[in-house]
Amino acid sequence: MKKYWKSPEELKYGLNLNQEEEFEMDHKNAVIDLFEKDIPEKTTSRRNFLKLMGFSITAASVVASCKRPVQKAIPYLIKPEEVTPGNALYYASTYFDGTEYGSILVKSRDGRPIKIEGNKLSGISAGKTSARVQASVLSLYDEARYKGPMISGVESDWDKVDAEIITKLAAIRKKGGKIALLTGTVISPSTIKVIESFRESYPGTEWIQYDPVSFAGMLIANKKSFGLQQIPNYRFDRADLIVSFSADFLGTWLIPVPFTKDYAKNRKLDNGKRNMSKHIQFESVLTVTGSSADKRIPVKLSEEKIIVANIYNLLAKKAGASLVKVPKSKVNVHALVKELEAHKGKSLVVSGANDVETQLLVNRINYFLKNYGKTIDFNKPLNIRKGLDADMENLISEIENGKIDGIVFYNVNPLYNYSDKDRFENSLDKVSLQVSLSTSPDETSLMVDYNCPDHHYLESWNDAEPVKGSFSLAQPVTHPLFNTRQAQDSLLKWSGNDLKYHDLLQQNWEEKLFQLQDRESDSKKFWIRSLQDGVFTVSPSGGTENSPEWIFNNDFSEISSVSEGLELVLYETVALGDGRNANNPWLQELPDPVSKACWDNYLNVSPAFAEKNELQNEDVVEIAGLKVPVFIQPGQAEGTVSLALGYGRDNTGKVANKTGVNAWPLVTVKDETRQYSIGEVKVSKTGKKHTLALTQTHHSMEGRPIVRETSLEEYLENPAAGNESHAEAEKNKVSLYKDVKFDGHHWGMAIDLNSCTSCGACIIACQAENNIPVIGKKEVRKRRIMHWIRIDRYYSEDPEQPMVLNQPVMCQHCDNAPCENVCPVSATMHSNEGLNQVAYNRCIGTKYCINNCPYRVRRFNWYKYVENDKFDYNQNSDLGRLVLNPDVVVRERGVVEKCTFCVQRIQEKKLNAKLENRPLKDGEIEPACVQTCPSDALVFGDLSDPDSKVSRMFKSERNYHLLEDLHTLPSVGYLTKVRNVEKTHGEDKKDVGHA
Amino acid sequence: MNNCFVDQFRKQTFRVVMLVLFLMYLPVGVFGSFSNKKEGKSEGSKKELTGDVKRGQKIFFGLAELGEGAPVCANCHNTTEIDSLNWYPSSYEIGSKFKKKGLMAFKKAVLSPSTPTMKKVHAKLTLTDQDVTDVKAYLDQVAVDGLTPKKPVVKNALLMISLTIIIIIALVDAFFTWKVKFKIIHLVVILLAVAGQVKLVSHAAIALGRSKDYSPDQPIKFSHKVHANQNQIDCLYCHPSAEYGKNAGIPSVNVCMNCHILVAEGQISGKYEIDKVKAAYTNKKPIEWIRVHNLPDHVYFNHSQHVGAGKLDCTECHGDVKDMHLIKQVEDLSMGWCINCHRTKEVRFTDNKYYGDYKQLHEDLKSGKIKKVTVEDIGGTDCMKCHY
Repeated sequence: MKKYWKSPEELKYGLNLNQEEEFEMDHKNAVIDLFEKDIPEKTTSRRNFLKLMGFSITAASVVASCKRPVQKAIPYLIKPEEVTPGNALYYASTYFDGTEYGSILVKSRDGRPIKIEGNKLSGISAGKTSARVQASVLSLYDEARYKGPMISGVESDWDKVDAEIITKLAAIRKKGGKIALLTGTVISPSTIKVIESFRESYPGTEWIQYDPVSFAGMLIANKKSFGLQQIPNYRFDRADLIVSFSADFLGTWLIPVPFTKDYAKNRKLDNGKRNMSKHIQFESVLTVTGSSADKRIPVKLSEEKIIVANIYNLLAKKAGASLVKVPKSKVNVHALVKELEAHKGKSLVVSGANDVETQLLVNRINYFLKNYGKTIDFNKPLNIRKGLDADMENLISEIENGKIDGIVFYNVNPLYNYSDKDRFENSLDKVSLQVSLSTSPDETSLMVDYNCPDHHYLESWNDAEPVKGSFSLAQPVTHPLFNTRQAQDSLLKWSGNDLKYHDLLQQNWEEKLFQLQDRESDSKKFWIRSLQDGVFTVSPSGGTENSPEWIFNNDFSEISSVSEGLELVLYETVALGDGRNANNPWLQELPDPVSKACWDNYLNVSPAFAEKNELQNEDVVEIAGLKVPVFIQPGQAEGTVSLALGYGRDNTGKVANKTGVNAWPLVTVKDETRQYSIGEVKVSKTGKKHTLALTQTHHSMEGRPIVRETSLEEYLENPAAGNESHAEAEKNKVSLYKDVKFDGHHWGMAIDLNSCTSCGACIIACQAENNIPVIGKKEVRKRRIMHWIRIDRYYSEDPEQPMVLNQPVMCQHCDNAPCENVCPVSATMHSNEGLNQVAYNRCIGTKYCINNCPYRVRRFNWYKYVENDKFDYNQNSDLGRLVLNPDVVVRERGVVEKCTFCVQRIQEKKLNAKLENRPLKDGEIEPACVQTCPSDALVFGDLSDPDSKVSRMFKSERNYHLLEDLHTLPSVGYLTKVRNVEKTHGEDKKDVGHA
Repeated sequence: MNNCFVDQFRKQTFRVVMLVLFLMYLPVGVFGSFSNKKEGKSEGSKKELTGDVKRGQKIFFGLAELGEGAPVCANCHNTTEIDSLNWYPSSYEIGSKFKKKGLMAFKKAVLSPSTPTMKKVHAKLTLTDQDVTDVKAYLDQVAVDGLTPKKPVVKNALLMISLTIIIIIALVDAFFTWKVKFKIIHLVVILLAVAGQVKLVSHAAIALGRSKDYSPDQPIKFSHKVHANQNQIDCLYCHPSAEYGKNAGIPSVNVCMNCHILVAEGQISGKYEIDKVKAAYTNKKPIEWIRVHNLPDHVYFNHSQHVGAGKLDCTECHGDVKDMHLIKQVEDLSMGWCINCHRTKEVRFTDNKYYGDYKQLHEDLKSGKIKKVTVEDIGGTDCMKCHY
C-alpha cells in the first residue's frame, strides 16, 4: 500500500511525538489553575485542591441561598407583522468586500443577523459561500469599528464634518484643483452613479480603482488581444482539460466559489457518469487548487512564462504563426500540447501571473485551442477586478508633485498594502483634504484628517453586478449599531445631492433595470421581487456565445532564461486574502487548507531546502529585510520560498495587531503591473524561534488506511478500485450486540473525496452555527482547537512533489459508538435517529469518551471561553456575543462537545414538516457545513429512505467508512478519491514531468 | 522555632479579633448610613412640601380622623407586599403616580373621583387641605421607600431546629441523664429525627432553581380570569405564536389596544390599570412584564411543537389560567415532569402525514401489537430533543 503522511517529520521520523511530550505536563496542570496565573509552571498541589474545594462549597452555598433573579419579559410596543419572537427570518443580500463576491441570505433572529447562508436563486454563487463570506457576519460585531465621525482622531458629529468637508471641497473646486477618489473595484451600478454625481459636482475629480492583488496584466492583455479591457468568465464545468499556471481558482483567484462549484461538477462520478475533467497545475506554492489537481508540477514562478511560451510555440508552429524567442523549458510540454490539441474547445488554460506578456500568450493559446466562446465567456465578463496598476502609480506621482488637493479613500487601505507605503505616507501631507470612509480603523484611516465611517455591509443598501447581466441587491438587516453613515450617502451629501442612496438605488432599479426584464409589468413589483430574491439576471438574449476577434499582432518580446537564485513568492491565503478581514478571529483561527497552521504567516520552504540550510520549523530567518518563522512545506517548488500576504496589520484591532509580518512592501512594479515575487533573495538564520500554531500533527490517525484513492483508469475497470478493503470489512461484520434498527429517520452523511477542495468554508459555517469559541494561538498549539469539523490533509509520494488528499472529518455518529459505553454518567448516548448525542449539563468532564473515540472528533472545554479576559476574542464582549446562535447552548468549562449534525436544524425542519402536515423531503435538512460547501462534497440525508441521495451514495461501490474494521458502524460514509491519471500505483510521471 | 510559632499564633489571633470586630461593626455602619440617608431624604421632601409624613401615615392607617363612616385608606391600598391580587392600587403606586403631580391633582382624585367605585367608597371622606397635604407627603415617602417587604416564612427552619433539639435531647439522655431506660427508643428517636431532616433538606435541594407557584406582582394588574373567563377571549388571540412560533409570546401593546381603545374602564379595576396600558401606548414605552414561566438556558422548548403539531391544550402545562387573576406557575417545569408526559402522551400518529416515515410503528399499530404511539416511542426522551 501507498504510504500517506501528514508532515515531513512524520515521514522521516515516524510519528511526531515531541509535541506530545511538550504538552503533556500542561494537560495535567490545567486541572486546577483557578488561583494561578502562570499555569504551566505550577503543578497541581493538595493545597490548591483544598482551596478549590473550599471555594466551590462556599460558592455553592452562597448561590443556593440566593433568590432567583427576576426576569423581565418585554414585548414589542407594536409588533412588526413579519417578526415572530424566537423564529428566524432570512433576508436576501449581497456580500462584496472589494475582492470576494457572494449572493447571500442573512439569518436574523430577533433583529440581529447571526448567520450567512448562500442564496440558492443566484446564478453565480448558487447558494454556496466561502469561509470569508461566512465569517463576515462577525465583523459586524467588531468592537474595533468606528463609532462615529472623527476629525483628526477626535470624535465629532456629522454636521460639523460635512460642513468642513464641503467647504474644503468647494474651495478646491474654486481654484480648479484636483480631487482623487481612490476606491477598490466598484461593481455596484448605483454606486457608480453616485460617483458620477460626485464628479459632476467636483469636475476636478479623478476616480482611481485600486486592487492590491491586481489583475491589471490580464486586463491589459485582453485589451491588446481583443480590444476588450475585461476579465472573461471561465467555465470550468465545460472544460475537460484544465491547465493552470499559479491560478489558485479554487482558493483565491477571482471568484473561487462559483469556480469550485463548476470545477467539482465536472469531476463528480455520480449517476453513472464515467468521465471527469483532467486538471494539471503548475505552481510554486502548494495551493488549494494544486492539491486538488490530478497532476501538480512545482516550478518557479518566473519559469511559468517560459513553459507557457514553449506551449505557445508548439501550437504556433502548427498554425503557422510567429514564434517567441524563448529558452527550452525544464518541463517537457510535448505531451501536454498533444493533449491540449485533443481537447480543442474543451480545454482551458489559465494563468495567475500579473504579467501582460504571459497573459497574452495564454490568450493566444486559448485562441489556438478555440476555447473562446466555449470555456471562456466574454459575453458575460467578470466585473470584480478593474484596477490598473499604472493608475495608482500616476496618482502617487501626482500627489508627490502637489497636483492633488483632496483625496477620498473608500474601501482601500494603501498605507497597508501599497508596496511603497512610506512614499505614499510622506506625500500625503501635500494633500490638503484627506477623507476616509473606512468602517473600521486601518493603517490609512488612522492617518487622515476626516473619518466618515461607512456602515457595515449588513447595515447598508447596495447593489452589485459581479458578472455582466447578473445583478444583486444588498439590504440592511439591522439598524446601524453605531453612528455611522453609508459611504454613498456621504458622497451624495458632499455633492450637494439631496437624494438618499436608498432612493437613488430604487430609482435606478425601477427605471434602468426594469427595462431589461419582462417578468414583472410593474416597476414597484419588480423592485420588491428583486429585493426578496436578492438577485436579478437579465434574460439571456438567445444569441450564441461568440469568440471575440483576435487583433494583437503577436509581437512578443524575447523571453530570457530564469536566474538560478532563490525566488520569494508572495501569495494570498484562503482565510485572510489580502488582509482586509484580518481582525476577524474566526478567520485567523481557520487552519490554512494546505499548511494547517493558523494565527501567523510563515516562510514556506521545501524539505530539501530546509535540509540543505539546516532549517527547522519555527526557526526565524531573515529574508528581504523581514524576520519570519520557517515552515517546511512539502511541494514548495525547488528554488523558491513563499510568504503569505495579508498579515502584520497595525492598529486595526486586538485580533489583527501583530499577527504575522507584513509582506506587502515586497511587492514590486514592473512594466505597468505589480509583481508578487522577487528573485535573488537570501535567507539567513537569526538563531531565534517563533512558535507557530500548527494543527497538522493533531488528530493523527496513526497511518491506517483512512483515505482511499484510485485512478480513473482503474475506476472504470472496477468501480470498487482502491476500496477493496471495504468489501472485506463488510464480510467480517459480526457482532455480539443486537443490530441497531431505526424506525423513522436515520441521519447520515456522505462525503465525496473527489469533490472536497479543503477550502474551509464548512469549518467557519460550523463555527458560526454552533457558537464554537476561538481559543487563540497558544491554546491551538496545545491541540485544543475547538472546531467540530476539521479537514485532514494527507501527503503521499515524494515530499518535493507530493500528491495531496483532503478529508473532512467530523463526528461519525457511529451506531456502535465507542464513546457511548465508556461515559460513567451516560452523558453521551445514541438517539433513535442515529445521532450520537451529548448532554452538556450531564457531562462531568472525565474525557473518557475523547480517549475512546478512534476519530478524535470530540473537543474538551479546557476553559470557560466566554466572558474570559484570557480569551479576548468575540465572545468576551457583549457586542461580539450578539453573533451567538440562540438555539445552541454556549458550553461551560469542563464539558465535552462535538458535531451534532446540526441537530437544531434537523429539529427545526422536522417541526416545519409536522406543522405543514407533510413528510420530510430529501435534502430539506442541511447542516451548516453541507449548506455552504461550494463543491457539494457533503451530502446529508435520511439513510432509512432508500431513495435519498445519501442512501444512493452509501450504496456506491466507492463508499467506505473510517476504520470500518473496528465495527463502529459510522453514519458518515466517504467516497474514494478518483484521480484522472492512468494508474496511481504505476509510474506515470513521464508525460509531463521534469525532462 | 517556638517563638516563631507563638508570633505566628499571635498574629493569627489578632487577625481573627480584628475580623470579628469588623464584622460586628459592619451592619451598624451600613444601616447607620441607610438611616442617615432616609432622614436626609425625608428632610429634603419636607422642605418641598409642608405635609407631615407621620401625620399623613396616621391618617392613612385610620388612626386620625377621617370623617364619620369613612373607610380607612390602608384597607384598600396596601402598604406591604402581598402575594394575592389587590385590585385597588397600592400606596406605592398612588405615591409614584402623584409624586410629580401637584397637590391639587391629588386632592381632586381623592375627593372628587371620576369612577363609580371610587365615588361610592370615597363619598364619606372629609379631609381638610392639611390632611390631604399630609397624606400626600406620606405617599411621596412611600414612593421613595417602596412597600414594606413581606416577612419570610421560617416554618422549615423552625422544624429543622426543633428536630436538632430533639436529637440533642435524645443524645444527652442516652449518655448522661438516663431518664429513658431502653436505648432502642433513643436510637429510634434519633433516626426518625435525622430522617426528617434529610427529607427537609432533600426537598429543599430539589426545589432549588425551580419556581413552582411563582406568581409575582406584575406592573399592571392584568387578570387572566377577567379576559379568558368572563370575556371568553381565546388564549391564541393574545398568544398566537404559541401555534407557529418558538415562544408563545406576550402580546405587544398594540394587541391590547385592539380592545382597550374602546374598553376604557374595567368592572373591578376601574380606569387605573387600563390607563397604564394606554399610557404605554401613547408614551411609546413597552410594558415590562415579569416573566413567570422561565426554562433554564440549556433547555430548548418550542411552543409550536406542542401546541401546533402536538395539539396540546394550553391548560395541560399552564393549569386553569382561566381561573387565575394573577398568573401563577402551576407545574414545576422540571425535567421529570417533562419526561413523564413524553412517556405517556400519545402522538397524533395517523393524523399527521409527517409520521408516515415510521413504517414499523405503523405496522405494529395496525396489527394491534401496540395500542398507541407515545412521544417516547419516536424518540421523545432522547437528550438532544431538548438539549443542544
